[in-house]
Amino acid sequence: MTKRIVSYVAVVVLLIMTIVYSATTGSIQMGFFEFFSAFFEKGNSSMEAIRDLRFPRIIVALFAGAALSVSGVLLQSVMRNPLADAGIIGISSGAAFVQLLIISFFPALFFMTPILAFMGGAFACFLVFSLSWKSGLSPLKLILVGIAINAMFTGLAEAFISLGGSLNVSASSVVGSNLTMRTWKDVSTITTYGSIGLIASFALYSWCNLLVLQDKTAKSIGFNVARARLIIAGVAVLLAAISVVVAGVISFVGLLVPHIARRLVGYDHKVLIPFTALLGAFIILLADTIGRSILAPLEIPASTIMAIIGGPFLIFLLRKE
Amino acid sequence: MIVSHDHIKNHLDGVTTTIQKGKITTIIGPNGCGKSTLLSVLSRNHLPKSGQVSLENRDLVLYKSKEFAKKLAIVYQQNEIPKDLTIEKLVSFGRLPHKTMLQRNQVEDEKAIDWALSVTNLLEKRHQDLEALSGGERQRVWIAMALAQRSEILCLDEPTTYLDIYYQIELLELIKALNEEYGLTIVMVLHDINQAIRYSDQVIMMMDGQIVAEGPPREVITKALIKKVYGVNAIFREDDELGLYMMSIGI
Repeated sequence: MTKRIVSYVAVVVLLIMTIVYSATTGSIQMGFFEFFSAFFEKGNSSMEAIRDLRFPRIIVALFAGAALSVSGVLLQSVMRNPLADAGIIGISSGAAFVQLLIISFFPALFFMTPILAFMGGAFACFLVFSLSWKSGLSPLKLILVGIAINAMFTGLAEAFISLGGSLNVSASSVVGSNLTMRTWKDVSTITTYGSIGLIASFALYSWCNLLVLQDKTAKSIGFNVARARLIIAGVAVLLAAISVVVAGVISFVGLLVPHIARRLVGYDHKVLIPFTALLGAFIILLADTIGRSILAPLEIPASTIMAIIGGPFLIFLLRKE
Repeated sequence: MIVSHDHIKNHLDGVTTTIQKGKITTIIGPNGCGKSTLLSVLSRNHLPKSGQVSLENRDLVLYKSKEFAKKLAIVYQQNEIPKDLTIEKLVSFGRLPHKTMLQRNQVEDEKAIDWALSVTNLLEKRHQDLEALSGGERQRVWIAMALAQRSEILCLDEPTTYLDIYYQIELLELIKALNEEYGLTIVMVLHDINQAIRYSDQVIMMMDGQIVAEGPPREVITKALIKKVYGVNAIFREDDELGLYMMSIGI
């Protein structure tokens, strides 16, 4: 119990510290006290620049981190598989591919990107599910199928970019992740859909808890397993798709963060889901902040940093299985 | 009734039976004879391809899943133990059928959980983690979860198979007490024929997906039928204290 409280307090403190540090660090430097006094005054030119350039980036990083991490928790619960992550099993690349299609061919549908990307992610999720269903969703089999689906969608996207050539300049940002030049419009997209997804996932915590039971046992207590799976997976795909649309593909967050979170606060989803959201927000913002300040003015994308940490972590988990 | 697992081969072709209320009914038979399948059809885990299973003159498919869970609970043979879950928490899952989106009766929930924990003798361990329990205790936890459903019928699929003899007897005595003291209708699958003789009111003997005989133990479990169904020569003895018991002596 105390471990839970300490973990919660620690992550909130770290999160706030990282937000302030991230807001004051970069080509425009500001002291902490200067930042706080400038925050409430109008017309400070450095503060206006921070407001326009850094705040959107910070908010997008926070929401993308939270959304991807919670998406990981939900997928792991639905697939009864500790290795599920939207990035690794191809859900993110499915969403990214659809986004690319829209940018290239149907720019008129741009405003529908979140919903269409959701459908792309859902299709990838459906493929992974149905192709690994026969093996009883065995963790390794599911990961292998997922990696294949991921490779397929990533390949398709890359082929598109090569074919399109000069046609789509902005498309390269779709495959990797890039948090630079986020606008307040991006913020409103990710906060709207992201909040819906995060609130929905918290509302589903008791279903996630029941999914630890084997299907036949869950059925025997009158629990509609298929319906719960479908809805939870839907929310997970929504969270993954929306962060792909705004922040690009970032793999391994959904794997790394829930694992650390379970170690710290346990398996009860009522506690785990909110904690995962906070921890995920913190980790992605930290990765992004480090990435843009360590070799400034060069930038290392947050997704690259996550891949560098996440790859070995996945190997570690596979060895433990 | 016809059941098919793979849509190619039919199982339980033409099986007809009735389970009596308030009794302990045991299904026995060699491996692969369809006893677990029969239990799983009775508990609505499998739907028959044709034919009908009904409870209180109502077809099982007409029950909503929660409504059915209030009528019948089942404990399966092997259960994975979830991580980081206390006994009390798992048993409380059994209250699910009594909850709706808006409504739950907390007092009643707690009463049912307390009762389930006390008859299974787990009250003192309620805050312990499942992973820390012995095999016998784990099996009792799953029974407690089923009991928390407060159903009139309790099904058990080979409840004693993986247990030491001590826990086997403990479990069967618990089942008997649930039947005698609380009036639960029990339907179970057992491997041990002597346990079936001792603990059941009714026995259903199966072979190759068919019911060979059913009735009180003394009428069903006979030398001739044991030879026919199991291919084993057996002798039966009557003991003043034990009642009827069987020894297999050769094949």
